[in-house]
Amino acid sequence: MQTRDQRRALGVLTTAAVLTLSACGSSSTSSSSPAGGGTPQAIGGNVSVWAVWSGTEQKDFQAVLADFNTKTGVTGQFQSKGDQLPTVLGTAIAGGAPPDVAILPQPGLLHDLVKKNALKPIDSVVGDILTSQYAPVWKNLATDSGKTYGVYFKTANKSTVWYNVKSFTDAGITKPPATFDQLLTDMSTLQQSGVTPFAMCGGSGWTLTDWFENVYLRVAGVDKYNQLAAHTIPWTDPTVTTTFQTLSKIFGTDANMVGGKAGAVSTPFPDCVSQAFGSTPKAAMLYEADFVAGVIPTVNSGLAAGTGFNFFPFPSINGSPAAVSAGGDVAVMLKDTPQSEALMKYLASPDAGSIWAHLGGFTSPNKQVNQSVYPDDISRAAAKALVDAGNNAVFDMSDQAPAAFGGTAGSGEWADLQNWVRNTSDIAGTEAKLEADAVAAYGH
Amino acid sequence: MTAVAAPLTTPRQGRRQGRLRRLFSRSTVNIILVVIGLLWLLPSFGLLVTSFRPAQDFFSAGWWQAIAHPFTLTLDNYRHILQTGGIGDAILTTALITVPATLLVVLIASLAAYGLVFLRWRGRDWVLVLIVALMVVPLQMALIPVASLYRSVGLFNSIPGVVLFHVAFGLPFAIFLMRNFYTGIPKDLLEAARIDGANEWMMFRRIVLPLGKPALASLAIFEFLWVWNDLLVSLVFLSGSSHVPITVAILGQLRQFGSNIDLISTASFVSMIIPLGVFFAFQRYFVRGVLAGAVK
Amino acid sequence: MTAVPSAAAPRARPIPEVRTGRPPRRGGVPRSAVVVLFMFPAALLLGAIVVYPAVASVARSLYDKNGNTFVGADNYRTLFGTSDILVAIRNNAIWVIVFPFLVTFLGLVFAVLTERIRWATAFKTVVFMPMAISLFATGVIWRIVYETDPHRGVINSAVGTVVDVIHPPGLYALPNIKPISGVSGAADGSMVSAQTVQPGGTVRLGLTGIPLSAVPPAAQDARAAATVATAISGLVWRDFSPGGHVGTIDPGEKGLPGLHLNLVGADDKTVATTTSGNDGAFRFDGAAAGTYHVALDASNFRTAFGGVNWLGTQSLTPTSSLGTTGQALLTIPLVDLAAIMAMLWMWSGFAMVVIGAGLAALNREVLEAARMDGASELQTFRYITFPLLRPVLIVVFITMIINVLKIFDIILALVPDSAQQQANVIALEMWRIGFGGSPDYGLGSALAVFLFVLVVPVIFVNIRRIRG
Repeated sequence: MQTRDQRRALGVLTTAAVLTLSACGSSSTSSSSPAGGGTPQAIGGNVSVWAVWSGTEQKDFQAVLADFNTKTGVTGQFQSKGDQLPTVLGTAIAGGAPPDVAILPQPGLLHDLVKKNALKPIDSVVGDILTSQYAPVWKNLATDSGKTYGVYFKTANKSTVWYNVKSFTDAGITKPPATFDQLLTDMSTLQQSGVTPFAMCGGSGWTLTDWFENVYLRVAGVDKYNQLAAHTIPWTDPTVTTTFQTLSKIFGTDANMVGGKAGAVSTPFPDCVSQAFGSTPKAAMLYEADFVAGVIPTVNSGLAAGTGFNFFPFPSINGSPAAVSAGGDVAVMLKDTPQSEALMKYLASPDAGSIWAHLGGFTSPNKQVNQSVYPDDISRAAAKALVDAGNNAVFDMSDQAPAAFGGTAGSGEWADLQNWVRNTSDIAGTEAKLEADAVAAYGH
Repeated sequence: MTAVAAPLTTPRQGRRQGRLRRLFSRSTVNIILVVIGLLWLLPSFGLLVTSFRPAQDFFSAGWWQAIAHPFTLTLDNYRHILQTGGIGDAILTTALITVPATLLVVLIASLAAYGLVFLRWRGRDWVLVLIVALMVVPLQMALIPVASLYRSVGLFNSIPGVVLFHVAFGLPFAIFLMRNFYTGIPKDLLEAARIDGANEWMMFRRIVLPLGKPALASLAIFEFLWVWNDLLVSLVFLSGSSHVPITVAILGQLRQFGSNIDLISTASFVSMIIPLGVFFAFQRYFVRGVLAGAVK
Repeated sequence: MTAVPSAAAPRARPIPEVRTGRPPRRGGVPRSAVVVLFMFPAALLLGAIVVYPAVASVARSLYDKNGNTFVGADNYRTLFGTSDILVAIRNNAIWVIVFPFLVTFLGLVFAVLTERIRWATAFKTVVFMPMAISLFATGVIWRIVYETDPHRGVINSAVGTVVDVIHPPGLYALPNIKPISGVSGAADGSMVSAQTVQPGGTVRLGLTGIPLSAVPPAAQDARAAATVATAISGLVWRDFSPGGHVGTIDPGEKGLPGLHLNLVGADDKTVATTTSGNDGAFRFDGAAAGTYHVALDASNFRTAFGGVNWLGTQSLTPTSSLGTTGQALLTIPLVDLAAIMAMLWMWSGFAMVVIGAGLAALNREVLEAARMDGASELQTFRYITFPLLRPVLIVVFITMIINVLKIFDIILALVPDSAQQQANVIALEMWRIGFGGSPDYGLGSALAVFLFVLVVPVIFVNIRRIRG
């Protein structure tokens, strides 16, 4: 008996030693997290995490969870819920069995859940990290009635236009366009060289909202942008009309897009990526967020970043200043277990961001994530633009809107913009429909 | 379609009809059916080939082009889903739901069918009518109240909850099927046993159950396939669990259909292997079940 | 299964001794106890999970979202006043009208045809097999089948092969090809020289929108055409090079070989044809005096089949002139038919097997007698086989109606996001409303009840069939 007890005591000691060692190890690698509330502790146990990520994104996130596990001993049980996440999360919350942590694709959903009392505030957990390592915009976006509920873990620079380098070279375009007029000129050159200027992903409605937002931001400015996002100005505002007129210069002509207007609204993301970057590219450019860089290798592994594909910032319109529209997935905590708190703290830390950033297709809003971890110059540039923009970055408008307006396939803004692409001349009708849908969804 | 319809529009002239019939009974019908048969195999075959292709090939060429270049096919997709384990866990969860649900349906339904056929009691006929009526009640009718019920008894997000729901909605059909079969068992057989002093349970165990084996097999296969292939019930009652069945797991991957086609096609094919195996092994019983209860 | 007898057997043994003294048929209390024992498990489950919830759903449908306020028929009013729900109801209607007919018809045809072949079992196995596959996997399978790009989707590839044989694509089948200098496009897809030309003159036709990869490898650098006294000569070339100028033959610009050219007289009649050479040069010899246009034949540019977007929202009926409600009710989206095809693939085997069994059970002698009497194949079928088969056909038909009313998984798996709303069905909408981000149990219950009401007639038919 005695020997057995001794052995057990020894075992406990050994375990403790190992844990202490691993804790030290993690604190030394995470040299940049002094504000992280001390060293992570090995607490063990499980934490369930839901997100929309599937495929490559899921693999990459699981690499993040693996590192979390080695640092804390907590096993992250990840489940991909795909586009059904808001629905399935609603079911689970109503059933009293939510996951510990969920990573939401839209901030609008965060506020919905706060209203349902489904989220736990995290000020005491990661408040100091968010203040010291993030631009205030990220904390503000995750704040509701004075309390912080979310960590923006994965963000996206949504003001990037991706282009096939060979198509540009073949057309003799040596310098990507910096202004919208130059873009139109280059489009015509590309056309003459025999390549369709743009691949469109209008089959996925959110890509059209991103188009609209980038043009609107440049036509109307940040203030108007935020007003329209909050729906304090109507969708019939003259700035909206100007935006549609500007967009018409691209969307109004069949020849500008693969498959014409019909093709533009029926091609979903990521099929459009293969249209521009597949083995036989049909288009020269594709506008979408920085995560396109992570998708291109899955449609064509032969295309290298920099020499095969590259991006330029969404061009300035009538001298508008540089501006970035950003999107992001926000991690929220639905159960305040020690494990979920540890995960939130970890996701907020530069460690977590660095791992995924290194794997590509990921931009961390954490200022302490070293730019050198990004796999190539392109993702580094996209990330830098986003971090540099700081408070001047605006957040994806449709993601801020109630999900019924800005986040539902086949209805609201998504469907209205798809219908507009089918008939670009009907700007007034589109605006009226958008306004009606917005009023229904916002309630004002 | 038009080619298939040909026999129905055979010219009416009696003299030509004999010749045409002979023609149809040989080569034409054979050719038509070979073509249809191949067409029927094509979609599943496409999935099978796709599951052996790298995801990026999906964007550049159709799966039939891959057959011309077999060296581009790879086992990597299968290797990958075996390694990451999520799909294995999902298959296991599916089995943990399907096997108990099937056994329970078979057992409970044969008991109730015995009660309906061999026991005499008042209201028996009305119960049968009720069961026939319940056979077509859409399960949507029960989702919301059962969700509340499960929440109050702690069955929400649990495998037993899903199993019980499947059993309950499988029962009307199962009882009907077993009842139809038991009706064919001669009553004399049981009378004789009863006179010999056997009780109902013994007669159920020793006479009716053994005689009912073919029907039980049909029923079991039917239930197995039904539960294995379910999506909705698990989506509602198990979505908060960390273990979900294969259909729910694949649903989570459908976002961005295409860039992860390697995973989707492979997982879909894996999800089909077991039901297809069951189907081929017990096709005879399956057909019998379909015929016996074609009202479900 | 195996566990059941061992667990129950010991308990069963002592009972015969208790019962020996009693006449077996006269069952007092113990008799009803036996009934309860046999029926209880089924009764409990059916009561708790089927019957009670069905009643509770009806009650719940009369309350609001949170269940606190009685709202009467408000939820039902919402149901018929929301265009998204009307779309779902419309789609279920399309399914119910189209699918049972098609599947019964196909099943009948297959059943009749397989009667005459030796390898019927193999055929039946193949057609029946999809029944073992989940609706969800079926959706995934058919999503691959329906890919729009003819290089990726097998149906569009087949259609494209046929279309491209009837209308072969031209050598320069390019969507962006454009006349740029000395040419203008015509309505029929051909391109015509802007200027007229007389024998002894030359024309220069510049085109853009041709990627280098589409220029035949044999193409040589373009050169200005030499004047030939009695002929009309000219050049057709790719008038694009990085930094080049429109209308001038810049260094490195290639001639376009293989283009079919027509010499068109003043009366718009083609008087001669020719084909451009590797350097893009062409020549019409011996043209009579007069003025001509040179035209590039439309066949040069005819594009290949681009694929039908089977899973798209385009309607088979013209509805653009209708209001929102009218559109919701009267659109027949192509995606519905595509989904119905997938479902046919799954269920035709079922119809075939059931109808085949019905055929096998028919009285052969009656059929033979009819044939002996000189009835044609069609007459025998119509006046003998079909009436005898009718009960079986009705079974298949009803089964399919019930099936189609509850359709859910296949839409979720098959239909891409951009068309989900157009392909919506009641069961799917019920799930979204009842279990979505902000669940509305009242409206969700109303939808479930509506679905139930639709199957009620089937219940009566079934009961009548079983009792009769």
